[in-house]
Amino acid sequence: MEPGSGLQRRGGAGREFAAGGSPALSGPQSRRRKQPPRPADFKLQVIIIGSRGVGKTSLMERFTDDTFCEACKSTVGVDFKIKTVELRGKKIRLQIWDTAGQERFNSITSAYYRSAKGIILVYDITKKETFEDLPKWMKMIDKYASEDAELLLVGNKLDCEVDREITRQQGEKFAQQITGMRFCEASAKDNFNVDEIFLKLVDDILKKMPLDIMRNELSNSILSLQPEPEIPPELPPPRPHVRCC
Amino acid sequence: MAAPCAEMEPAAAPRSPGAGELVCARGRNRKAVLCQRCRSRVLLPGAATFARRELFLPSMKKKTTALLASNSPDGDMLQDHWLVDDMFSFENIGFTKDVGNVKFLICADCEIGPIGWHCLDDKKSFYIALDRVSHE
Repeated sequence: MEPGSGLQRRGGAGREFAAGGSPALSGPQSRRRKQPPRPADFKLQVIIIGSRGVGKTSLMERFTDDTFCEACKSTVGVDFKIKTVELRGKKIRLQIWDTAGQERFNSITSAYYRSAKGIILVYDITKKETFEDLPKWMKMIDKYASEDAELLLVGNKLDCEVDREITRQQGEKFAQQITGMRFCEASAKDNFNVDEIFLKLVDDILKKMPLDIMRNELSNSILSLQPEPEIPPELPPPRPHVRCC
Repeated sequence: MAAPCAEMEPAAAPRSPGAGELVCARGRNRKAVLCQRCRSRVLLPGAATFARRELFLPSMKKKTTALLASNSPDGDMLQDHWLVDDMFSFENIGFTKDVGNVKFLICADCEIGPIGWHCLDDKKSFYIALDRVSHE
């Protein structure tokens, strides 16, 4: 299977994603299978970054303290997930990478950043230092991420309001300094705003993307995201400074 | 622990009880494949083909057994699987980190698992064990 072969240009779909638009029709060129289930319209890669303990993994999970496979979770750990969401009549497959355990700023391989269409940057509203780390994370984004990656800043642990150290306004202000960065607060523990985070990010990505780019976004390879040398041979051009605070 | 990433047996009649009605005439899954626990949708009907291959999956319920303990007998040798050649064929699925050259597949929502198996040596084979999922 060629990467992205499940994606076909939709006849007459254009680049508008009107809400409630008609469902995508299967193109006549669906060679892969005679009667395949409706393939995904888009595949998008999303990474979750942030300092240790801010709840990155929890944002990717639904049941944080209630999992069967403790062995999977604590011994081996979840590497990434594929989740399907439907938005604006489009079916989108998200490949979500949690970077837990790689919290040192320079230890996340650049491959994660390079291929991400969406980056969720998380801090803990009850831990000032995780907020103060944000500029360092932004430097990594500026250095490695695609310039058109959508950025979403998430103040997590809204369920711990009594211990709050960072006001909502501080989070908003930080996000405002960075072109195109969205902001929200969430509680992964209560699942508050969590699904919305992914939907919001996908919505922003879709709004920005021309159709022709979307078709072959992701390779089907896990190996492409295996660790690589600290300094990759070719770096994408740095993001404009306007993004950096 | 896991079987080597060698050849795969061609589609054959499933051995799991009742599995026959799950496979359509073209060897595909007649029903949607769901997580047994949280009903998260793993595969749509028709998205996968039936495949028989002996694969060892660690037990789903044991809390402390390390998947890493390669000589651990705590698990099942499973025969009947749904096979897809593209990870984006899944509606929802989770991948564990590497265990040797294998990634185990788990429910993307509640993380029960392993429900499936993927070998990094074969980028086009992703297996979901029939015995570890529900069908609807």
